[in-house]
Amino acid sequence: MTALLSIRDLTVSYRRDGAEVAALKHVNLDVAAGERLAIIGESGSGKSTLALATAGLLPASSRIDGCLDWFLPSSPSVGAKAPPSEGGVKERQPSEFITRSTHTPLGGRDIGFVFQDPSASLDPVMSVGEQIAEVAHTHLRLTWPQSYAWAKTLLERVRLSDPDAALRAYPHQLSGGQKQRVAIAAAIAAGPKLLIADEATSALDTIVQAEIVALIRQLVAEDGMTLLFVSHDIALATELAERIAVFRHGELVELGPTAQIIAGPRHAYTRALLDAHLGLDAEPMPQPAGASR
Amino acid sequence: MSRPLLAVSGLTKRYRRGGKSIAAVDDVSFDIEPGETLALAGPSGSGKSTIARLLLRLIESDAGRIEFEGGDFLSLSGAALRARRARLQMVFQDPLAAFNPRATVARVLDDPLRIHGIATRSERPRRIAALLDRVGLSADLAGRAIHEISGGQRQRIAIARAIATKPSLIVLDEAVSALDVSVRRQILQLLLDLQREERIAYLFISHDLGVISAIAHRVVILDAGRVAESGNARAVIGAPQSTIGKALVTAAPKLNRTSTQGAADRQ
Repeated sequence: MTALLSIRDLTVSYRRDGAEVAALKHVNLDVAAGERLAIIGESGSGKSTLALATAGLLPASSRIDGCLDWFLPSSPSVGAKAPPSEGGVKERQPSEFITRSTHTPLGGRDIGFVFQDPSASLDPVMSVGEQIAEVAHTHLRLTWPQSYAWAKTLLERVRLSDPDAALRAYPHQLSGGQKQRVAIAAAIAAGPKLLIADEATSALDTIVQAEIVALIRQLVAEDGMTLLFVSHDIALATELAERIAVFRHGELVELGPTAQIIAGPRHAYTRALLDAHLGLDAEPMPQPAGASR
Repeated sequence: MSRPLLAVSGLTKRYRRGGKSIAAVDDVSFDIEPGETLALAGPSGSGKSTIARLLLRLIESDAGRIEFEGGDFLSLSGAALRARRARLQMVFQDPLAAFNPRATVARVLDDPLRIHGIATRSERPRRIAALLDRVGLSADLAGRAIHEISGGQRQRIAIARAIATKPSLIVLDEAVSALDVSVRRQILQLLLDLQREERIAYLFISHDLGVISAIAHRVVILDAGRVAESGNARAVIGAPQSTIGKALVTAAPKLNRTSTQGAADRQ
């Protein structure tokens, strides 16, 4: 396993009401290059803090101890990352990864981030095309016309039905699912090594959620990205991830291959999460007597 | 079969968008029996929440009838409407948005008791303590502000407020969707206990077919404002007939106990 990221003894605290509250406590976790890893937990588990810490997006007021060691290509050559003109799938060589780089990842270029609420993460007064082109212009140093052409290619890749219209559209003109597709297009515009999806489908209805999960799976496979899929929904995670990390109260309580987590969870909390899942074949909960069925 | 508690027939609501008339709810009919849970399921934009608003008369319908407790609910106005509304309550997805966040728990529960004249001023603290106990919360919580308590506690407060006026029907609009799964189960159990003891009927609006099959008796599946299919909840979810019913079942996340890739690549 080639590591992309090695998290060692990570502790993150926020100040709240004058007291330090630890959102993450002594977390150790290796993320392998090219894997799909789900981060699962309930409110207050620290799963989003882990995502933000990984992307370097924690608020300045937070206190961070421990370290994140990245194993990224030493000097990402700008030209090599430029998109092909016909929008084909890029080949990635394993040799691209070297060990223990001092190169610090850059949000937007090395890490793509998709948030829960695309209405909040997209700029409401900037056209969709400009928001995606801006990423390409900034990180890939493309000219603006090239950036717009790349934006259109990306909108096709995230399967928006009318990419030309979408380029000119503003976020409020799109549905929730379309907006999340745009947010994904912007997140992958610079060809990041790591895609972080933080509850990226939680605000969507079930059908759109399934479409977005399928899209993420496909894009990650085509581009050889590593995926951190942060979710409260362990069933959804099992459909996408190869490994699952279960968090509770800021601690990593269990980590393992998806099949093992489902079939033989070691930690009582993981079992409780699995038991709380109400599948389509869920036993009816105790019903009131005498009601019609 | 007893007379339905709620009988909705031909309910229609149109909106104008870009000069075109769009039916958000289009000729929808369904009944709810006393003490029954009827689920409304469907994708975003299928009309679920519009139906909830029409039932509560937060918006007015363009066509159709709503009979509630044997009377024409749509013709009520003024004091008669307010009195009948006490029997029809609602719990929303996000209780933080539904309440004044700085109000205390006691204040939130005092309002319905006062407004509907259910208890005198001197009786109300005791009634509030009883309501808190009813939803499994400590009476000590009464003095806390809504923003200080947890999401699960807040949803229990929303349920306590809803049952304060002794309703026969509660509309639950995605009422457990924002809760952690462990908390969700407790809230569902509370709802079922209340239903068994007080014979309250629920209109349970949800996109989550797993939750629906666990607690609902019947389900109505909506698509683009119309009823796509309806019937016994577990029968419909087990073998959906409509296109949208099949799509909802296919899309529901499943704990895939055999392999990590089995459910992959459905597009």
